[in-house]
Amino acid sequence: MSVYSELRAKASEAWQVVETPPRPRIAVGITTCSRAHGADETLAAIRSEVAQRNLVLDIVVTGCWGLCYAEPMLEIAKPSGQRVLYQLVTADRVPQLIAEALDGEGVCSVLALAAVGLTPVRGLPSFESLHMITLQTRRLMANCGIIEPESIDQYIGRGGYEGLAQALATSSEGVIKEVTDAGLWGRGGAAFPTGRKWDFLRGAKNQPKYMVCNADEGDPGSFVNRTLMESDPHCIIEGMAIGGYACGASYGYIYIREEYPLCAERMNTAISQARERGVLGTDILGAGFSFDMEVVRGAGSYVCGEETGLIASIEDRRGMPKIRPPFPAQAGVFAKPTNVNNVETYANVPLIMHHGAPWYTAMGTEKNKGTKMFSLSGHIQRVAVLEVPFGVPLRRLIDACGGLPEGRTLKAIQPGGPLGGIINAEHVDISLEPEPFREQGALLGSGGLVIIDDTACIIDMSLYFEWFAEDESCGRCTTCHGGTQRMVEILRRIANGGGRTSDKEMLRLLGDTMRWSNCAHGTAAPTVVLNMLAAFPEEYREHVEGKRCPARVCRGLVRYEITAQSPSLPDAAAICPTAAIVGKDGAYSIDQGLCIKCDACRELAPEAVHVVDALAPSAVSVSE
Amino acid sequence: MTETAKAPPELAALVADLKPDNADLLATFHHIQEAYGYVPPEAIPLLAAKLRTTPAKVFGAMSFYSEIRTEPPPRLAISWCSGPACRLKGAENIRRALEAILGVELGQSTPDGALGLSLVQCDGTCAQAPLLRLNGRPRGPLTVAEAIRLARELRETRGNGHQA
Repeated sequence: MSVYSELRAKASEAWQVVETPPRPRIAVGITTCSRAHGADETLAAIRSEVAQRNLVLDIVVTGCWGLCYAEPMLEIAKPSGQRVLYQLVTADRVPQLIAEALDGEGVCSVLALAAVGLTPVRGLPSFESLHMITLQTRRLMANCGIIEPESIDQYIGRGGYEGLAQALATSSEGVIKEVTDAGLWGRGGAAFPTGRKWDFLRGAKNQPKYMVCNADEGDPGSFVNRTLMESDPHCIIEGMAIGGYACGASYGYIYIREEYPLCAERMNTAISQARERGVLGTDILGAGFSFDMEVVRGAGSYVCGEETGLIASIEDRRGMPKIRPPFPAQAGVFAKPTNVNNVETYANVPLIMHHGAPWYTAMGTEKNKGTKMFSLSGHIQRVAVLEVPFGVPLRRLIDACGGLPEGRTLKAIQPGGPLGGIINAEHVDISLEPEPFREQGALLGSGGLVIIDDTACIIDMSLYFEWFAEDESCGRCTTCHGGTQRMVEILRRIANGGGRTSDKEMLRLLGDTMRWSNCAHGTAAPTVVLNMLAAFPEEYREHVEGKRCPARVCRGLVRYEITAQSPSLPDAAAICPTAAIVGKDGAYSIDQGLCIKCDACRELAPEAVHVVDALAPSAVSVSE
Repeated sequence: MTETAKAPPELAALVADLKPDNADLLATFHHIQEAYGYVPPEAIPLLAAKLRTTPAKVFGAMSFYSEIRTEPPPRLAISWCSGPACRLKGAENIRRALEAILGVELGQSTPDGALGLSLVQCDGTCAQAPLLRLNGRPRGPLTVAEAIRLARELRETRGNGHQA
């Protein structure tokens, strides 16, 4: 441990500066989410405001606190120990923030969200007491928002790479045993025991062996891996290095999707820093073990998130999933033994090695130990990333995120990405662990939870998810590319009012057939449609037999009508992209041949424009 | 390698480090695309020679990935997020309106190459759903009416003033 102790001692100084800043420190969270809300502009505005006022302070870049709805966020820490987290700090609010928050021990109350750290701040709740946070146990996210992701010393200063040091002082079997005892399983969706997977690779004869990190997080609505890579990149490197040691692998690839350029940037920086500090490269921490790694950037293919598709993509080929056997542990990247784990799986490993399996298993349920990160999006008040122990009821996450938009009712939850299926709102108390989701014919998946309220149509959403699966099918198996196409055609026909009574059987038959596909993409692609048939039979029947979309979403089943004249109608007519609203002698009507049903007119004249059932004759008369 | 002789020097420099079985191809596609805005056809035989494979294999790999372009990008890329949060909040309405106003469908550019409309995957900026990106810069959340006004403005200005 001596090499590590030395490293830790040096790094502690760097962390001490953060803990007890000698002068005020403004830490701006720069992540994909915050950037979308203008955090780059906020940072620039802070720099110029600080320069203008000749203030002596530090301005640094941190990661994500997991409160996407509150971005841009920043923290101001002072030598007194006062540390305040500010929310919604757009560039235009910077002058007020600086004027009030940097006036001695002042706080800019309108933007203040919470006090962080040990010093209470009058009139402010503590971060831990926020409704969004009380439910959470942040182990994986312990550094998120707190450290500078581009500072390896802050990571080490907070105990980073101690897990690696401890692993290197243990036998490789010992490391695998610890991971097995912790009950860690793959967080990417398949939930396969990590220790067993590693043991396969350890037993493989061929050399070299590869550790691969699946950072392709392609499920739309999932952004937990992104949060980790952008906010705490070293925990992934450390996890991969420990895995490399345990399995006898000498090289790693972290495959990051095209849509995450900032992740690639931060991971690359972290890798170079890790080499500089001797926690990557030859003779790591003086223990005689050598391991290095690189980033591979994807280029826009969902199926590369399937482990053998990902391997093919690393090998300079079309990212088409391979036929197994051979399994990656026998012949993976460049036909060499390979282990593929998800970002979050690797991120758990340093915690297990650092604190031990007993500590790790103290959290969670009988079958599922530890914590899991989730991202909530869709019809939810506060889009966020949360980390909770396994077994928390889904409802509590929705509550923590402020619930649904005013006046709406929960209709469905879509877990685990487009292939994860869809569950009915009646199961909102479902425990967040894989088994109960499997019982519903769905997948807990990698952490994305899309919340769907009663304004959405379940046929429309099923069509959307199935279309996604069709679009991203690699084309190898007819069961998959043909099956998804047929399903999309049928659903589209139903949405357009052409549903047939034979469709249900046809969809089920297709679903059964698709299960024979080579990879998880094809086998899981029918999940959402089969779930929809089982869990939403009424809504399906309404579409097929009643020719009616109860949520009034499906294009072929609705019509826009002007039901009353109103002073807003000229605006509605002007906004119409197809000039479908015709005014004659002051009376407006919609030319149904031109209308593309885009809803813009109803936005501007909600009192006059209504969406009505297009085909069901009894419902054509307007009831609203 | 006659291909190297014919290729523009920048292209040759971009593929210089490419080695077979070294996980280099995707990175090289990205480097070429960063320099040219797309991967020009003359790059294909160069890449094939470097990887000691056939141009067909390289083109086959390239065509698999939706973010690798084989044509120059439009002056202003209007990217429509296809994610579920956007979908739930009216993205489909926005797509229809944009297509009607710009006269192009997803994946197409206006004939003068000024404006392109394309699908992008969700990157998790769902707090801003539904959103569009203009040369990568997010705009959201948008109502359909706001998206229409934006599209009309872009159509009038041919995307000038919105470059990254």
